[in-house]
Amino acid sequence: MSLIRPTASSSTFRAIGLGLGGRGLHTSRALAIRASTPRRDATVAADETGGFKYIPGGPILKGTVNDATPQIEASRSHGSYHWAFERVLSAALVPVTVGAAVSSGSAYPILDGILAVSLIVHSHIGFDSCRVDYLHPRKFPVIGPIVSWALKIATGLSVWGVYEFNTNDVGLTELVRRLWTA
Amino acid sequence: MSTSLVRQSLFRAVAKPSMLRASAPGLMLAQRRFASTQNMTPAESISYLNAQRQHRPNSPHAQIYQPQITWILSIANRVTGVALSGALYAGALAYLLHPVFPIIDSAHLVSLVADLPTWVKGGLKFLFAVPFTFHTFNGIRHLGWDIGKGLTIKGVYATGYTVMAATAISSIYLAFFV
Amino acid sequence: MFKPSTASSALRAIPSSSRVSIGARSFHASSRAALATPSETKPEQTKEFKIYRWNPDTPSEKPKLQSYKVDLSQCGPMMLDALIKIKNELDPTLTFRRSCREGICGSCAMNIDGVNTLACLCRIDKDVKKPSKVYPLPHMYIVKDLVPDLTLFYKQYKSIEPFLKNDNPPAQGEFLQTQEDRKKLDGMYECILCACCSTSCPSYWWNQDQYLGPAVLMQAYRWMADSRDSYGAERKEKMQNTMSLYRCHTIFNCSRTCPKGLNPALAIAKMKLEMATE
Repeated sequence: MSLIRPTASSSTFRAIGLGLGGRGLHTSRALAIRASTPRRDATVAADETGGFKYIPGGPILKGTVNDATPQIEASRSHGSYHWAFERVLSAALVPVTVGAAVSSGSAYPILDGILAVSLIVHSHIGFDSCRVDYLHPRKFPVIGPIVSWALKIATGLSVWGVYEFNTNDVGLTELVRRLWTA
Repeated sequence: MSTSLVRQSLFRAVAKPSMLRASAPGLMLAQRRFASTQNMTPAESISYLNAQRQHRPNSPHAQIYQPQITWILSIANRVTGVALSGALYAGALAYLLHPVFPIIDSAHLVSLVADLPTWVKGGLKFLFAVPFTFHTFNGIRHLGWDIGKGLTIKGVYATGYTVMAATAISSIYLAFFV
Repeated sequence: MFKPSTASSALRAIPSSSRVSIGARSFHASSRAALATPSETKPEQTKEFKIYRWNPDTPSEKPKLQSYKVDLSQCGPMMLDALIKIKNELDPTLTFRRSCREGICGSCAMNIDGVNTLACLCRIDKDVKKPSKVYPLPHMYIVKDLVPDLTLFYKQYKSIEPFLKNDNPPAQGEFLQTQEDRKKLDGMYECILCACCSTSCPSYWWNQDQYLGPAVLMQAYRWMADSRDSYGAERKEKMQNTMSLYRCHTIFNCSRTCPKGLNPALAIAKMKLEMATE
């Protein structure tokens, strides 16, 4: 009766129209009473939109109500490793900041350098989190990648900037101390 | 005796729909639908649904949601983080211009601040201390959650108020007593 | 110190025993139904309800708040009673989902006075000077009035395979589980999928096409935590990306708003910690 048409997306989430026939679950009662010529190609692709443009986050959905949302490609470096690194770094920043506050930056240049670079990496992760939340490339195909690259460049330049500042000038800790007591 | 028999047969009639239909053909009539229906293929139903969906408005969200400690402190954590990180990035990037503009260095900045009136200095320090202390304390609160501590609504509110109090006290101390 | 909203705190402050006794009356939303209590005995208490309206038959008309005035002395105590009374007596075109009227079906989830909750479990604020505002669940596409399209939510629920998966079923009888293992499911299996939590989550607002949201994530963890399921590692592997799980920033709106008093944020935090330490 109905056949399985292979789809571009992963086979796990292939739309299986077995037994569905022409009786998909309708959210609107109007559907059931609409006159149409029944075609018996009961299987549809899970990413089909019925000819409508799919906008991520928009009202148009892909596939029938019985298709699960597709699986996103797994990558631990974007998942648990990233999460754990972020936590370890943030936790390490607490003693490093306290250590820098009670010592003098010029006496412990290594600690000062670690603080400055850790702060920038921590900042980068924070900025990147905002970018993914608000300006993801799937929703903003032009500005999304621009922001992504701009952030990477700004982070690289900032690391260079604090390196220059910590080696040629008084360093981050000492600057804050002097500004605070100015 | 007779009533229980009636009840029994009634029960059977209800339990076995086939009997009900056989004994009461009028009920079958009542089940007939008078609106004609036709089947749609799944492809057609997707198309039909999406034609309706494209007009649907998005319901109001942030502007109608009740202000709650939960999300207020969360967005405050993000805003303070972005502000502090922005200042750090701006400073680091600006120092890259030091070879071109020698005026961009710590000595000039410190003397610039030293010339300010005391109340402006205190205000600026307070303006910097609030986001710094808040982000630090709230960050520790988040790290507690990440290792499984205080993950109840009571815990969220208690630690939330604690963070706010600690922020207020420590920023006033850092800005006006250090 | 802990000061939740007036609407939901009023509800939570009431012991469940008294809620049950009141529940019997809440069937009768209309004055005609409440024959046992003569209307003359109660002073009139007119309260204004402002309700979100949008009609798909006139899609170009912008959604608006429509005002209704209800005499609380002639109405049941819950928001759902007021909505049913309005639909019965004032405006039959008002559209909303409801079924069980006792907080177990999850149909009447909506945003009442700024908080996502079930209308049937939410007491009407007795302050008649302040109008109550009723919106559909936030940041959802609206089918009509207070009815949001939950298709994506259900499709996401399907994607986590919410059923027991085990390649080695016991040779005979059923799967056995220790009491401690069974206890791990408490607070998660009770979820009725009303979508209050997911639609209270700002991360879900901005990225709902890829982020699974608190309700679905808690159910994902419910199957990871089940000792009878042998696919925990595979289930966790599915979360290993930027969007599905890690858009959760532990905001806690989900646990704050859950009308069943569950704690999705706790389940998600446990999932993240297990994934990072295993």
